Amino acid sequence: MKDLKEISGKDAFKVPDDYFGKLNDRIISAAMKEERPPANKGKYRKIRPLLAIAASVAILAMIGFGALKIFIPDKKLPGFPEISLQEFTENYLDDIDILTLEEGVAPVASFEKVPDLTSDEIIDYLILENIDLSDIYEIL
Amino acid sequence: MTDQEKDIIGLFRSDVERGFRMLVEAYSKKLYWHIRRLVILHEDADDALQNTFINAWRKLSEFRSESSLYTWLYSIATNEALTIINKRKRDRAVSFEDIGSILANSAEGSTWFDGDEAQVKLQNAILKLPEKQRIVFNLRYYEEMPYEEMSRVLKTSEGALKASYHHAVRKIEEMLGEG
Repeated sequence: MKDLKEISGKDAFKVPDDYFGKLNDRIISAAMKEERPPANKGKYRKIRPLLAIAASVAILAMIGFGALKIFIPDKKLPGFPEISLQEFTENYLDDIDILTLEEGVAPVASFEKVPDLTSDEIIDYLILENIDLSDIYEIL
Repeated sequence: MTDQEKDIIGLFRSDVERGFRMLVEAYSKKLYWHIRRLVILHEDADDALQNTFINAWRKLSEFRSESSLYTWLYSIATNEALTIINKRKRDRAVSFEDIGSILANSAEGSTWFDGDEAQVKLQNAILKLPEKQRIVFNLRYYEEMPYEEMSRVLKTSEGALKASYHHAVRKIEEMLGEG
């Protein structure tokens, strides 16, 4: 029997005479009967409406901020009360239980989350990937 | 991405029909042979090729210009070829592991197949491979497609493709040696 390399030179498949000569026109006329696709507008044109909205919001925010500065020049805007670092630590951070935090986070980070696989599941996966099982048995 | 691909994509934005014509002219022949080696029959390859380009035309606006046209079209063509193969298997209950049976159960018969004994044996060996391995073998052996591109077409890692091709060659050589 011939070696694989010796056979590769020729293609046994044939096509009708002048098949490729007429092929492109045939494909194009068949496609043109279909609905014309919307033009590919490119990235910038696709996000242009979003950019316009973002720009409008930014301008309105700037106008609003300017108006507040003009009409309420000396009054402080309501916001968070000013507190020192020590006050913040004593009032807020000391109330958080670090152990409760660890219990909440640890299971997510744990490697125990990796599912246990049965040998059948592993073999199914190898078959799906077209790995020849006889090779694996040889290694084992 | 090649300069030709960039030109085609550029034309899609300005003159979509001219862009599509250029796309068909650039890839129709290569895709025909890719499909033909999978579906075997000329009439099926012709149908699958036409469906490939009609699908590409419909999905043109979905094509993302950062990916390659070539791999995008190969993915569509491979899916169309597999659709035809599955339809043939259902409709005619044909064994897709023997080229003689495929040709005998078709209207075109062996009109467009001119293989000698060795080529018939090679095709039968290829047909006995699992579907995905067959695609990998054809893309590598006949079209010499780099694994990197094949990985994008078949959405499989390069390592798995190399292993798959290696096993395909070994199986085919074993089958050729049997006769």
